[in-house]
Order: sequence, then C-alpha cells, then structure tokens
Amino acid sequence: MPDLEVSVSTPVLEVRDLAISFSHPRPAVRSVSVTVDQGEVVALVGESGSGKSMTARAVIGLLPDGAVATGSVRLRGEEVLGLPEAELVKVRGRRVAMVFQEPQTALNPVRTIGWQIGEALRAHGGSRGRAARERAVELLRQVEIPDPEERLGFYPHQLSGGQKQRVVLALALANEPELLLADEPTTALDVTVQAEILALLRRIRDRTGTSILIITHNMGVVAHLADRVVVLRQGEVVEEAETRELFAAPRHAYTRQLLAAVPRLPGPGELVQALPAEPAPDAVPALEYDDVRVHYGSRMRGRVLPAVDGVTLRLERGEVLGLVGESGSGKTTLGRLAAGLVPLAGGRVRVGGEDLAAARGRRRVDLRRRLAFVHQDPEASLDPRFSIGEAIREPLDVHGVGSRQSREQRVLELLDAVRLPASFAGRRPRELSGGQRQRVALARALTLEPQLLIADEPTSALDVSVQAEVLELFADLQRRLGFACVFISHDLAVVNKVADQVAVLRAGKVVESGSAARVFGEPAHDYTRRLLDAVPVPDPTVRDATGPALHPHVAAS
Amino acid sequence: MGAYLLRRLPSALVVLAVASFAIFAMVRLVPGDPVATLAGPDASPEARAEIAAELGLDQPLVTQYVTWLGQLAHLDLGTSYRIGGQVSDLVADGAVNTIVLTIAALLLAVAVALVSSVLAVVLDKRWVNAALSFGNTLAIALPTFVTGLVLILLFAVVFPVLPAGGTPPDGFIARPDIAAQYLLLPAVCLALGAGAALTRFLTEALRTEMRQPYVTTARALGISRRRIVLTQALRNALPSTITVLGIQFGTLLGGAVLVEAIFTWPGLGGLIEEAISGRDYPLVQVLLLLSVAVFVAVQLLTDVVHAWLDPRVRIGGAA
Repeated sequence: MPDLEVSVSTPVLEVRDLAISFSHPRPAVRSVSVTVDQGEVVALVGESGSGKSMTARAVIGLLPDGAVATGSVRLRGEEVLGLPEAELVKVRGRRVAMVFQEPQTALNPVRTIGWQIGEALRAHGGSRGRAARERAVELLRQVEIPDPEERLGFYPHQLSGGQKQRVVLALALANEPELLLADEPTTALDVTVQAEILALLRRIRDRTGTSILIITHNMGVVAHLADRVVVLRQGEVVEEAETRELFAAPRHAYTRQLLAAVPRLPGPGELVQALPAEPAPDAVPALEYDDVRVHYGSRMRGRVLPAVDGVTLRLERGEVLGLVGESGSGKTTLGRLAAGLVPLAGGRVRVGGEDLAAARGRRRVDLRRRLAFVHQDPEASLDPRFSIGEAIREPLDVHGVGSRQSREQRVLELLDAVRLPASFAGRRPRELSGGQRQRVALARALTLEPQLLIADEPTSALDVSVQAEVLELFADLQRRLGFACVFISHDLAVVNKVADQVAVLRAGKVVESGSAARVFGEPAHDYTRRLLDAVPVPDPTVRDATGPALHPHVAAS
Repeated sequence: MGAYLLRRLPSALVVLAVASFAIFAMVRLVPGDPVATLAGPDASPEARAEIAAELGLDQPLVTQYVTWLGQLAHLDLGTSYRIGGQVSDLVADGAVNTIVLTIAALLLAVAVALVSSVLAVVLDKRWVNAALSFGNTLAIALPTFVTGLVLILLFAVVFPVLPAGGTPPDGFIARPDIAAQYLLLPAVCLALGAGAALTRFLTEALRTEMRQPYVTTARALGISRRRIVLTQALRNALPSTITVLGIQFGTLLGGAVLVEAIFTWPGLGGLIEEAISGRDYPLVQVLLLLSVAVFVAVQLLTDVVHAWLDPRVRIGGAA
C-alpha cells in the first residue's frame, strides 16, 4: 500500500516560517519552523514572550482576535493555517488536541466529567448514549483515573488538581488525535503530581503513538519527556537538537544561559552549603510558632478541617526559613499566620518575642510594621493605578514616616537596592515585565525595614532566568539588610538556593525540619525523599537510567 | 438545601419585622390625617374624637403598633377606613390582576433577554451588537408613561388591533385568546425596562463566560461556538442572571403601579394610590408590607435557585 507509506513518512506536523503579528509593533512570532514526526515528543522551550504558546495556538487555529499569521502549518501535509472556522472545527479535537496549563479552570465547573467527555465525542459525530458512556470510561481508564464509572458523575471541583489535568487529557484524547499540544501541562501542579502526569504522557505516546508537542519553560520536564528540543527566543528558533545532545553540548549561548539558570538540587551525598553560624542561645527568635493550629470550615456546619495542625517552628534573626510542601500542606497558611491574617485556633505565634494575637491597638500596628509580605503574583499585588514610586512610598505615607523629601529619597534608595533605575519611579506596573514587577514588590516590602519578610512563592510566576536573577537579588539583600525571612515555595530547588532552615509540610504537619543542607542532602523522612525524587532533573541521562518505558526512538539514538 | 433555607430564614424574618415598623412609622409621618379626611372639613371636635376612638387612633402609637402586629399574626388584615370592607378582600381582588400582569411581564422579559443575548453572542457580529445596544438603551431610557402612551397610540389608535386598556371582560380563564390581547400591551410596556436590563446583563455575562479557559478547552475540542454558548456558557451565566432577575422583580412590582394607571388595569397599583391619598392606614400598611414580603420571598427563592444551579454549592468541596 504505497499510499500508507507516504502518509506515515509525512510528518504529523510541519510548521514552516510561521510568523504571527498583532497590532503591537513587535511580532509575537517572527520565524518558527518545527517538525513533529509520528510518535515523537518535541519540546518547544523558551521564556514568556518567546512565542511558544502562540505557535501552538496557530497549529490548532486558536489565535487571539487580531492576530495575523503567515507561513505554513501542515498536518500530514494538509495546510491548516488560514482555514475558515467551519473547517477548523473539524480539525480541532479530531486531528490536533490541546492540553492547557491550568487544570483548575480548564474544565466547565457546572457540568459533570461524563457530560464533558460526551460533548467532546458528540462534536465529531462520535458515539452517543451507551457507547459514549463506555468510551468515556475507557478514556478515564486510559488516563489512569481510579473508579472511572463513578467519576463520570463527578463535577470538576470534586477532583484534585492532578485528576482534573487527567480529565483534560482524556478530553484531548477523546477523538484520537494524531497530535497532542501540551501547553505547560504540569506547571500548575505539585511536583509529585507533575512526575505522574509526565510519566502518563510518555505512556500515552508509547501506547497510542500520538505525537506530542510540549511547550514548557522547565528544563527538567524537557529532559524527562522530550525526544527533540526546539529553543525559541523572541519569536525565533535559536537552536534545535536531540534532547541528549542539547543538554550535553548546547551550541547557542542562549540555550546555555537557560540551562545554567535552572536551580538544581544537590545529588545524594553532595555537600550543599556551609552550615550557618549558630545563633546566640539567648537571642530572641524573629518568629516562633508554638504548637500552632488553624481550622477551616465552620463548626456550625459540622465540617472542621485542620489547615495547620500543631506546628512548632523557630526562625532565628537574620535567617531564612524555607517552607516546602504540596498544595494543601498549610505552608501558605503558616505564612499568613505570621502576619496575623488568619485566625488562630490554638497555640501561639510570636514575632520578635511578642504574641501577635495578644497585641492590641498601637502595639499591634507597630508589630505589623516590622513584617512585610511578598506575594506570588506581582501583577495582582501592585495597584495598576499607582506609579511604581507611589507603590513603594505608600507604606511610608501610611505610617507617616519622615518628610516628603526623605520619603522620595527612600524610594530612590530602594529602587537602587533592587537594581532598577530611578526613572522607574514614574512608571506604571503594566509597563514593567514580571521580573521587574516582582523587584518592585520586594522594594515595597523592604520600605519600612522589616525584621521579618514573608515571601509566598515569590518567583513561581517568573521565567527561569528571571527567577535566577530575582533569587540572587533576594539573597544579596537578605545578607546585607539582615532581615529574617519565611520563604514559601513548592519548588524545592528554589528553596534550597535561599533557605538556611527548611521545614517540610504535609497536611498541616511538619514532616521534617532542619538545616537546608541536612534536609535536602540527607532526608530522614520518606515523604521528603519522595518529594525530592519527583523533581524532574534537568538531565536526560538520568531519565534514561531510571525511566521505566523507553521509546525506541530515544533508545536508538 | 433545606438547611440552607433554614439558615436564611431568620434574616428574612428580621427584614420583615424592621419593614413592618418602618412602614407603620412612615405612614404616620406623612402629613395628613385619616380622621380629617373621613370627617370632612366642617366636623366638630367631638365628631373627630369619636371617629378617632372608633378607629383606635386615640391610643398611644406603641399600642396601635402592637395591636396591628397582633392582628397580622392572626391573619386579620383589618378593615379599610375609606373604601370600606375587609383589607384582605380588597387585596385579593387587586392581587389577581397585578400578579397576572407582573408574571406576564416577567416571562416576556426573560424570553426577550434569553433570545437576544444568546443570538448576539452566537452571531458575534458588530451590527447585531450595535442594534441590540441601541434597543436596550432606548428601552431603559424611556419612562413607562412614554412607552405606554406610544404603545396605545400605535396599536390601539393608529392600527386599532389591540384594546387600549382595561381587563378582559370574561376573566383570564374563560377566553385565553381575548385575555392575551388585553394583556399584551401593558405586559410589553412593563417588561421593556426589565427585559433590557436583563438582556444587557446576560449578554455581558455570556461574553465573560466565553473568555473563560473552559471555553478555550471546548473550542480546542472542535465544539462549535453555538453549542458552547447554548450548553456551556449559558449554564454558567445562569446563576448570576437569576439573582439579577430577582432584583428586577422589585422594579417590575414598582412599575406595575404606573402601568396599571396607564392601561386602566384595576390592580394593586390603583388600590395603593387610592389608599395613600385617602390616608387609609390599614390598607397602605398591608400593601407595603406585602410588597416587602414578596420581594424578600423572591430574594430567598433566587438564592436557593442560585445555590441549586451551582454544583459547587450543592455538592460541596472535594471529598
């Protein structure tokens, strides 16, 4: 059958000289060419604004309004770029499907899982009624969801984040597409769940031969999953290589920079960092949690869930305490507790030796002045109507510190401290990049010279290379100004980079705590080990050594 | 759901209690005196005192209030000072007409809002949106007494196809076709404002839903825009729309007073106008309290429907 021969050797996806422009001056994609063969996993890697997501959206015909795309996108040799909507509807889901970053919002909250899968099947005239139900069960089984028959009647909010992402994957696989586009499919997930989803994606490829184009900024994910890597920068391909080759010998300077920016965890037995100096024994700790408990839900409705369950921790002055754990572990609640933002159900929180809950009036205001907060999303935490200068000055205005001149002076000092030019004082948050905004948030937090800083996932929304810069700046400021810090993150490698002490949390309890070097170097608890093992290592050779199912394509190379 | 309703009930009762007091006080604060109205300008002080004693208006205000509440508790709505007869009978007579008119207007408003919003969002054409927005602005901006007169002029005078006013002579049941003809103009007049407000809200809610990530998921699966709007976006936009509908219901009740006057529709609107101008305390009090009660009940109902429509409220958090 010569026809089949031709269709198999034709690449599943062939993108040639794709360019996408908006009304903005800079084109989102300048010139991108990518080819994906049958059963191949190709990673599109780059930072935000590199055009990786736009490229994927062009493939499935879901570019935002006003975007103009030129070039060519062929699926098995058929041009799909510029097809009318009526034709695109037939391509989407049937030949190309897409998995999105945020499983929390990717599913319709008011429809059951079963209905949503049924709708995906109906869209392409697939099975209905009983057959559709059987197919839905089969799909849920394929994405390894337990009790699939029962889960069909569930609404998305009844599932965990990882299970939701599996459902999104099941939807994408419903009509057996040849190509799966996965846009940051594990970025919003916990490490252990991320590892499971990555393994599942590999198994799906191995079982069904579906080609996968994965979009990611996480080099660990790339090393774990991809056969080939295409590195994008500002809408152009800077390097393309087999995964192993790229990691072993990156040719382009930008690729090297990307790889170097990835924070790494120490290997087993590796010495991490010198132990911090022992604090004076009589010193008052900067922050103390003493058998702290927090409950959610109301007693009246008979559903009381412990969010924090008997945590005792101590943070010395000038040290950084890293809180790590998966979502729901209570790490964010602990951070908010230190700022007195969450009601205590039991125990004591002392900031600089003083009980936060017992302080009243003026005293409470003074205590709160000593601590500051940096949030995950700088876009949401800076008021868009304030200029950068006003945002940084606001705490001074609120507490009536100094004269007008001295406040302006302080703003300039702070901008300088976070390595932003003084001219930024007059700009608005939206004129800044994510990394710059997070520096502003940091400057604002440091305005009143706090003794304690609570940083909740401060770098999670940032690109790797930007993250590396912000972390370095943070560590530098922390050393110079000597504030104590609670650093909350789900990213173990990031915590390892900045924290002196680490506490591993799980379901509101401390599983393990100690110096960062000890906890990450020689974890005592199984859960810590499991968390560490789940972190995708940015090294493809590790995957080949440990990965269960090797694709022949990789094995052969 | 029962527990949910039970938790909301106390606050509803508090609202009613506060409203009863406010109504009682307000009616008496309004200048004018029922005794003077009933006795006429030339009555002697003795005659006035006699009338006041008969109506119980010589008692201290607190006693009057407690007596009224006591009567209400026994479902005794009292006797009208001026019109005569039991308040309950008067209210029951007018209520049928007003309820029929309000419900008809409500259904019309809902139908108009559903059809035009869904059409606008499915078609997603510039001219459709412009036409819709023009019509909406017009319907919201024009007061009822203008639209009412225009409707009468157009459909009863220039093209005499519909009756200019009044209620169907044989009642609503005997000849539904005739009843519909009588109902059409006042219902349309009353529905215009509420329908336009509802359309505007629902269209915006649907557009917001269409920007949600789950819609992108559905589009990426090859589901058509029409289907997404009808089966997914609408279902998500419905709960908040129901809440707005509940609030609009209050506007409809208020608007009914005017519309009834324009179309000589003998409902509660005419009754309340008569009661207020005659300082007919028992009748005014009952009518005002009734409208508060209806509004509270509608709010409760919309909250329950809202909760029931949202599985996140209905089923609760993750297991």
